[in-house]
Amino acid sequence: MLLLRPSLCCPLTSPLLTGCVRALHRGSPRAELFLRRRPPSRLLTRSGSRKSRSQEDEWRTKNKTVLTYITAAGVGMIGLSYAAVPLYRLYCQATGLGGAAVAGHDADQVETMKPVKERIIKVSFNADTHASIQWNFRPQQTEIYVVPGETALAFYRAKNPTDKPIIGISTYNVVPFDAGQYFNKIQCFCFEEQRLNPHEEVDMPVFFYIDPEFDDDPRMARVDTITLSYTFFEAKEGQNLPLPGYD
Amino acid sequence: MSTAMNFGTKSFKARAPDKGSFPLDHFGECKAFKEMFMKCLSENNFDNSRCRLQSKDYLECRMEKQLMAKEPLEKLGFKDLMDPPPSPENRGSKP
Repeated sequence: MLLLRPSLCCPLTSPLLTGCVRALHRGSPRAELFLRRRPPSRLLTRSGSRKSRSQEDEWRTKNKTVLTYITAAGVGMIGLSYAAVPLYRLYCQATGLGGAAVAGHDADQVETMKPVKERIIKVSFNADTHASIQWNFRPQQTEIYVVPGETALAFYRAKNPTDKPIIGISTYNVVPFDAGQYFNKIQCFCFEEQRLNPHEEVDMPVFFYIDPEFDDDPRMARVDTITLSYTFFEAKEGQNLPLPGYD
Repeated sequence: MSTAMNFGTKSFKARAPDKGSFPLDHFGECKAFKEMFMKCLSENNFDNSRCRLQSKDYLECRMEKQLMAKEPLEKLGFKDLMDPPPSPENRGSKP
């Protein structure tokens, strides 16, 4: 039994092959069957190649569209990541998440706001100094009772016990953080360099108020103590601190 | 200062004061008013509402001695402590 594989891409050999097989197996019905079963190879290659060519074309166009889609998606992602910065900022402003700039905090409302006399809040004061600054810094009152919508004054005292002038700069912190957005300072001594001469002692006032909307916020319903904490650092020459938009 | 970069946790955002920073009172020019204010506070159990007159006096002293930008007192929230205007046709603030 001859196991021949008819080669499709060699049309010339096929008649030779046919002849060969016929010669070898004269009269053998199996061989005849074998020969007859094989269709004319030339026709087979043409239709096969046409089919494969169109199939290839189809694949090629399909690949092209898929590639185009993927590229478009990639470019879209990059563009979205650039657009995300202002969009996120807008979203934060609208919803007030993260304690960022909340609308309704303008200086004109000091004139028109009405104190909410029923809601008494204790504001306690804390003073800290960084390890490197040698000032004595402390609040002059440990706590003060205020109501939202009413301006209040508080004092800190700082003393420079050394023989050299020291320049300090301070920042503040309000706890609880959520209440910090309602804590508005009209004027204070923070974020600006303050120079104390040797052996000098000064009073540092803080003039602030608590926004009357504090009373309307359901999250603040159980808050009745707010702690204001100032920390003084030593300011070095030519040092630029990331101050919050304050020049 | 809170510097924790935890995603989702609320952190405190310090804001600059509305009217900026008080110049330091190096010569203690308004110290007397401050002492009056502190005395009032200690007498009244540290209730700010009762000592607003003294705080107004302190701020007025500061404004006089050029230690604070001059502002009409209504803008500082002392509208209720001001004297009413003499004539009713005054187009200023209501008493």
